[in-house]
Amino acid sequence: MTTYSTTLSVNGIPYSLAFDASRNLLSVIRNEVGLTGTKEGCDDCECGACMVLLDGHPVNSCSYLAAQATGKEITTVEGLSSGDELHPIQRQLLDAGGVQCGFCTPGMIMSTDALLRRTPEPTDEDIRIGLSGNLCRCTGYAKIMEAVKATAVELSGS
Amino acid sequence: MSAVEGGVGTASIRADAHGKVTGLARYPGDGVPLDALHAFTVFSNQPHARMLSLDVSAAEAAEGVVLVLTAADVPVNEYGLTKMDQPVLVGLGGTDRSAVPADVSRWEADHIAVVVAETPAQARNAASLIRVDWEQLPLVSTIEEARADSVLLHPEDGTNVYYELRIVKGDVDAGWDSADVVVEGTYELPHQEHAYLQVEAASAWIDPEGRVTVETSGQWTHEDREQIAHALDLPEDRVRVIYAAMGGAFGGKEDMSLQIVMALAAQKLRTMGISRRVHCRWSREESIVGHHKRHRATIHAKLGATKDGKITAVEADVWLDAGAYNYTSNKVLGNAHLSVAGAYEVPNARINSRAVYTSSVPGGAFRGFGGPQGAFAAETQMNKLAATLNMDPVELRRINMLRDGSEGITQTIMPAGVTLPQVIDACARKANTALPIATFASIASLPEPEGEVKRGRGFAAGFKNVGFSFGFPERCEAEIHLHGAADDDHPSEVEVFHSGAEVGQGTHQAIRQMAAEATGVPLDQVRGTFSDTAFTGDSGSASASRMTWMAGNSILGAAEEAEKAWREGQRPAIGKFRFTPPPTERLDPETGRGTPNFAYGYMAQAIDLSVDTGTGIIRVDRVVSTHDVGRAVNPQLVKGQVEGAVVQAHGYTLSEDLKVRDGRIANPRLSTYLIPGIGDVPEVVDSVILELADPLGPWGARGMAEMPYITYAPAVIAALHDATGVWFDQFPLTPSRVLAGLKSV
Repeated sequence: MTTYSTTLSVNGIPYSLAFDASRNLLSVIRNEVGLTGTKEGCDDCECGACMVLLDGHPVNSCSYLAAQATGKEITTVEGLSSGDELHPIQRQLLDAGGVQCGFCTPGMIMSTDALLRRTPEPTDEDIRIGLSGNLCRCTGYAKIMEAVKATAVELSGS
Repeated sequence: MSAVEGGVGTASIRADAHGKVTGLARYPGDGVPLDALHAFTVFSNQPHARMLSLDVSAAEAAEGVVLVLTAADVPVNEYGLTKMDQPVLVGLGGTDRSAVPADVSRWEADHIAVVVAETPAQARNAASLIRVDWEQLPLVSTIEEARADSVLLHPEDGTNVYYELRIVKGDVDAGWDSADVVVEGTYELPHQEHAYLQVEAASAWIDPEGRVTVETSGQWTHEDREQIAHALDLPEDRVRVIYAAMGGAFGGKEDMSLQIVMALAAQKLRTMGISRRVHCRWSREESIVGHHKRHRATIHAKLGATKDGKITAVEADVWLDAGAYNYTSNKVLGNAHLSVAGAYEVPNARINSRAVYTSSVPGGAFRGFGGPQGAFAAETQMNKLAATLNMDPVELRRINMLRDGSEGITQTIMPAGVTLPQVIDACARKANTALPIATFASIASLPEPEGEVKRGRGFAAGFKNVGFSFGFPERCEAEIHLHGAADDDHPSEVEVFHSGAEVGQGTHQAIRQMAAEATGVPLDQVRGTFSDTAFTGDSGSASASRMTWMAGNSILGAAEEAEKAWREGQRPAIGKFRFTPPPTERLDPETGRGTPNFAYGYMAQAIDLSVDTGTGIIRVDRVVSTHDVGRAVNPQLVKGQVEGAVVQAHGYTLSEDLKVRDGRIANPRLSTYLIPGIGDVPEVVDSVILELADPLGPWGARGMAEMPYITYAPAVIAALHDATGVWFDQFPLTPSRVLAGLKSV
C-alpha cells in the first residue's frame, strides 16, 4: 500500500486527495470525490458505463490509474449540465426516449460528447464506431442513435 | 388522445430520466456512506460436492474483519421463489429447521459464507483464508444424464425429473391418420444471460423503527420481504425492502441474490451492537456466475396437417434444464408447455413437458418465461410445414390461427379479445411495403462479403399470457391520495403509492399517467411514492408482461375509492384498492384441461436478412414487429420495449453463446459472452402498434414487453432457410455454426 497524494481536477473543481496508488480512477471519482454518476458495469473495459473524459478524450475510468489523471481535466456526466440547463445530448436523450434503465446513459453521453467534438457531423457509421465501446441492454440503441443524430444537427447548426 | 393532460396515450418524458442523464439517479451502490461495512459473498466453486469441514477462523482473525456468517447463523436455512430447495448458505451445523440438506453444494455459485469487513479488499482477502474440505460428488451434466436418475441432485425429490405437465387433447392417432404431411424436428435451445448493465448490489441496515432493511434492485419488493422474513424467522413487518433506481432486470432479478444474506448481516451486526450499514456489490463475473439463466432446452416436436394446411395433430416433448435449483423452472415450464403448440387451433395433441435438475447453472425467469423456447419449436414447425406444402407461411397461419371463441390447447375457450388475425394481417401488410432493403455491401460495419450474399425473409406469430398463471392468487394494490381545499370541486394534486418495480421499462411513468387519467388531474400534479414496503402495498412482480395491466386496474379501483372519500369531504381523500383479476386454474394432471390465464397479448414478426455464405455472417436488414398492445399508455415507452426486446432476442439468436463445462460457466465476461453492441443490431426495426382493446385491460391495455422477444428467433431461422435452403435446429447462429450448416448440405 502506497498512499498517493495529489490534486485531481474534476469538472473544473480541484480536489486534494490521498489514495492508494493502485486505485483506479473510477473508484476515486465515486468514493473519494463522491460523484456517483459514473457507473461500474464490468470492471474491465467491456461495457463503457464508466466512461469519462480526460482532456476531452474518452477513457474507461475502471481501467485507468487515478494517479495518472493528475494534471488532466477530468469530465464526468455531472459536469455536462450547468444548473437546470441540460447539455444538448442529455436533452435529446430525454426527448427521443433513449433512456430506459439509465445505467449505460452516463457513459453513452460521455462517448457522444467526445465523438461530436471530434466529428461534429458524423455519419451513422461514425456514430456506431464512436459508441462501439458502450453497451446497452434495454433500448436496442435505436433511440440513442436518434438522439445522437439530433444532437449533432443541433450543435453544428446544420 | 386523453382529455387529461399527460394522461393515458401521451408520449410523456419519463420523470426519472432527468436524474439518469445528469448522473443524479441513485442506484444500489451509489451513495454508500463512508463508514459502511463491506460484505463479500463466498461462492463454493463446487458444482457438486459434500462439505466435510469448514474452518473460518483465519478469516475471522484477518485484518479488518467484523463478521463471518456461515450456515450455522441462518435461522431457517432455505429459500426459493416457487420451491424452497436451496440453502441460503451451504454448510454444516444448521438449526435443522429446513427440509433442504445444507451440506451439499449443487452449484458453483452456492454461497458458503459471507465475510463482512471494513473494506471490500479486506473482505475479499479474508474470504481466501477460508478452508473447506469437500467430498466430490458425480456431476449430472446433461438432460440425458439427468433422466437416467443414476445420480440424484435432490435425493429428497426421488428423481431429477421433478416436475411434469401433460396435455392430452382429442385423439392423436386419428390426427395422424388424417394428416397428409408430417414434419418433425428436435430443437436444442441455448442458455441466455440477462446481462443487465447494473450488477447485483445491496445495502442493509436497521431502520429507526427497528426493521431489518434492505435496499437493492429486484422485481417484487414484497416477495423479497417474504423470503427474507422466512429465512431470518422474523414477522414480515419486521423486514423492509426498498428498491433504488435499477439498471435492468429482464427476469434476472426476480429471484434472490443478495437480499437474504445482506439482511442476515444487518441483523447479526445489530446483535453485536454495530449500527453501521453493510454494503455488497457483485463483480460482473460474480453476477454472470451467480444468477440464473434463460433455460437450456431440448424440444422434440411433430406436426401433422392436411394438404390444404389444416393442422390435424401436434405432439411435443419439452425438456427444460432447470440446473441445480428450481428457481421458477416449474412456472417457466408451464409457459413453454402452453406455447409449444403455437397460437393455433389444434384438434388433437399430446404434449409432455418436464423440468430436470442438472449440475448446471439454474434456469429461471427471463423475458418471455418459457415462451421463447415453446414458440421456437412451434413456429419453426409451422415454417417447415409451409415449406413442405409450398404454401405462404402467412396463409398457413391464417388457416389455423386462434380467433375469438377458439378453443385453446388446454381445451377451454381463449379469454375474449383474441386479435391474432388482425395482428398477422397488419404485419404482412407492413412487411410487403417499403422495399427494397439496404444492400448487404452497404453495411460498412461488416467485412466485405467473401462469398455469395443471399437474402431471405421469415415470418413468425404467437401469443404470450399476461399475468401469473395456473391458479396463482394474482393481485395488485394501489393507494391514491387526492389533495385540495375543502370546498374544491376537483383535486389539484395526486399522490400515488405503488410497489411496481421500475427496472428500466418505464413502469413508474405509466403508473403516473394512469393515475392522472383515473383522477382527471394533470400529470405534472401527480407525485409517486414507489417500491418501499414501509409505504407501498403488494403489487406483485414486474414480470409476465403484467405490471401495466395489473397496476392500471389497481389504480382505477383506488381512484374510485378516493373519489368517494373526496365527495364525502375527506382531505386528503384516500383510496386504497386491491385488484384481483378473474381466477385461473391449474391444469388437470392427466389431460391438461383448464383455464391457465386471464389475458394474452398477440404478436407477429417479419424479418429480412442477408447472409454471407463465405463467412457465415448474418445481417438482419429489417424487422417488422407487430403488436396489439390494446392501448399504448405511453407510445414512446411501448416502442422502446419493442426495440429493446428485438435486440435482446437478436443476441439470443445470433451471438450469445454461454459455455457451461462440467458445471461451470466458462465465459462469464462481457468480452467472451457477446451481447449486441450498437454496430450489431438490425438495420431497421419497424414497430407496428395496434390498439385493439383487451376487454379486461385498464383503458383496454394489454401486456406487451415480452412479446417482441418471443417470435424473433424462429423468424430469423425461417429467413435463413429462405435464403439458403437450410434449416438450423440449433442456435445461436454464430458464423461458424452457419458455415458448418451450409457445408453439411
